[in-house]
Amino acid sequence: MSMKRRLLAVLAGAAVVATAAVTAASGAPAADPGITSTSIKIGGTFPLTGVASLYKTIPAAEKAYYDYVNDHGGVNGRKIDFTILDDAYDPSKTVPLAQQLVEQTKVFAVVGSLGTAPGLATWSYLNRNKVPQVLLATGDSYWGFSYKKYPWTTGWQPDYPGEAKVYGKYIAANMPNAKVGVLYQNDAYGKNYYAGLRVGLGAKKGNIVDAESYDATAPNVTQQILSMKSKGADVFVVFATPTPTITSLVTATKVGWTPTATFINNVSANRLFLLAAAGNGANVDGIISTTYTSSSTTQRSLAGVKLASSILDQYAPALKASFDRGDANIIYGFGVAWTFVYALQHAGKNPTRASLMKALRSLNTGANPFVYPGIRLKTSAKDNFPIEQEIMIKWGGGATGDWTPFGKLLGPIR
Amino acid sequence: MNARFAGRLVVIAAVALVIALLPFGLTNYHQGLGARVGVYFIAILGLNILTGYTGQISIGHGAFMAIGGYTTAIMSHDHGTNLIATLPLAFAITFVCGLLVGVPALRFSGVYLALATFALAVSVPQLPLKFSKFTGGSNGIRTATAPGNSWLYGVTWACAAIGFVGAWLLLRGRTGRAFRAVRDSELAATSSGVALPIYKTLAFGISAAYAGVAGSLFVLATAGFAQPNEFGIILSLEILIGAAVAGLGSLWGVVVGAVFVGLLPEISASVPVLGSGHGQDVVFGLIVIAVMILLPNGFAGLLRLVESRFKTPIESDSTTS
Repeated sequence: MSMKRRLLAVLAGAAVVATAAVTAASGAPAADPGITSTSIKIGGTFPLTGVASLYKTIPAAEKAYYDYVNDHGGVNGRKIDFTILDDAYDPSKTVPLAQQLVEQTKVFAVVGSLGTAPGLATWSYLNRNKVPQVLLATGDSYWGFSYKKYPWTTGWQPDYPGEAKVYGKYIAANMPNAKVGVLYQNDAYGKNYYAGLRVGLGAKKGNIVDAESYDATAPNVTQQILSMKSKGADVFVVFATPTPTITSLVTATKVGWTPTATFINNVSANRLFLLAAAGNGANVDGIISTTYTSSSTTQRSLAGVKLASSILDQYAPALKASFDRGDANIIYGFGVAWTFVYALQHAGKNPTRASLMKALRSLNTGANPFVYPGIRLKTSAKDNFPIEQEIMIKWGGGATGDWTPFGKLLGPIR
Repeated sequence: MNARFAGRLVVIAAVALVIALLPFGLTNYHQGLGARVGVYFIAILGLNILTGYTGQISIGHGAFMAIGGYTTAIMSHDHGTNLIATLPLAFAITFVCGLLVGVPALRFSGVYLALATFALAVSVPQLPLKFSKFTGGSNGIRTATAPGNSWLYGVTWACAAIGFVGAWLLLRGRTGRAFRAVRDSELAATSSGVALPIYKTLAFGISAAYAGVAGSLFVLATAGFAQPNEFGIILSLEILIGAAVAGLGSLWGVVVGAVFVGLLPEISASVPVLGSGHGQDVVFGLIVIAVMILLPNGFAGLLRLVESRFKTPIESDSTTS
């Protein structure tokens, strides 16, 4: 019996010691989360692995830009400390990671997190906790439209339905008798695009002969492509993330389907991805898309492209090769990071979360060197869409080709 | 026997006191982790009733957690139901689901039953994708409101306490004896008048109901967000691992099993060299193997070992067997 008591005493003692240790380790909470006179902590979630991992150069480029800014004195003397977490484009992983950023890392703001479904998953959590969820790397229109209910959230890039409208209008005007086949991702991301396309087609929306969806984690899209082929579609519209887009282009060629025109969305219209598709046998000539960033291959003389190139040389040499081959995600990352730094500079000498949001809600600048020449970043109390201009591009030159812009800068596309 | 019982009560009181006082010394983030451990505690407790006490293996408890979790998410999202009120509802719904699963499971045993429950774990989380209008599909669904971490910690461990006392009362009585009889020998149990179908399905129902409540709390701990991928096969395996680490057929190790699966992934990421950069699963796996080699009967087995060192083994114990 006394032995038993002794055992109990030992166990209870151990528990108390463990409690004390955990308590000591936890420390006191900071009064102003994530910001001091010399530093500002921000973070974001990105698919470094998994189905959408082709986007992983975005956070790497952002980090390089912040490092560059830090070495040039930071923003009002504050160095930007950027935490990158991998959610593998899986919204069920994004939520705990966002909790980690807010509750453990104690970030000032979540900046540039990637993905529509991940963004939606963390939307209410971050807004409830009044944590800025800004410059999201997703073009869904939610971020722009819902600013009253979700005042702590902003997007950055042109909205997807607006982009889809561009394709719809183009098809209606230039291919009035087209039989349109649409492949879209079976979630909010793909459905928003599809809805925008129908609006853009207007009276011609009856020309859609087949609309096929696929799940983000599906291994292939062969069934869907075969269905479009069998229904006689001659215009192919793809609203997917990069890997499925490449797969669908390759699959279409493999099954012997040769649509007269193919449209892919901006996020998949990275030169690297088209080269990959062509390298795997896809017919890529004549594919149409849109862009709003500078090209690191065809616009090398632009100041922004030169700056990006020199920053990469110094801070992220590993990215340089893909930049030179035209990885649009790198210049995209620079554009986002530039916008955050710009907003921070305009958020007062001692920025608060609220003053950062105010700065992002009153953008009006054509100075972002990384976006397509002529594009202005503009927001107001009632307009929460920073970029609303795009230009159409067409691929030529096959497996060694590139994009060529055509027409004039469109916008506001919404 | 009485002294032994008193000793046990002291241990329980001490552990309960530590759990009750812990949040006052924890940061918000660590309270969230503590709540997560509580969720595993409830699920492991439930699995232990089925696997440890009744001898029916399940690697499908993630499916019941999904049902419980979606119950909470849908009730709150669509009907604005109070979050606490969704917990008994999840309990009831998963209890019925568990009974239903228990019926076909009567025909299986051993590895065949394990495979059948595995199928459950794989298929149930796909249902929300099928009925995406109702469940949000791969976008997931969010509760109308979501609680803070201290709320979560309190509610989760309150549920855990109720669940623990409930399980203890159930297992020390007539039903518990019947469960153990089924586990030890179905033939002997039947010939002693234990109605196999009733007790097997009952064990499935109760066990599933625990998992259902755990699933509800799991969703609340994930900022009120339910999405199919949260309830993958890994979750079912984590609960099974937790139950094995805790020690099957005993309630005394459950808290250790819960801490093990609740905190180890967090810790193993910080193991130098091996754990960094996606290595945490490797570390987790290695530690599980090591624990299984060193503690084949789980933490409860270790406790029994320590107990027997401290005194001559004369008492035969009816509750821990």
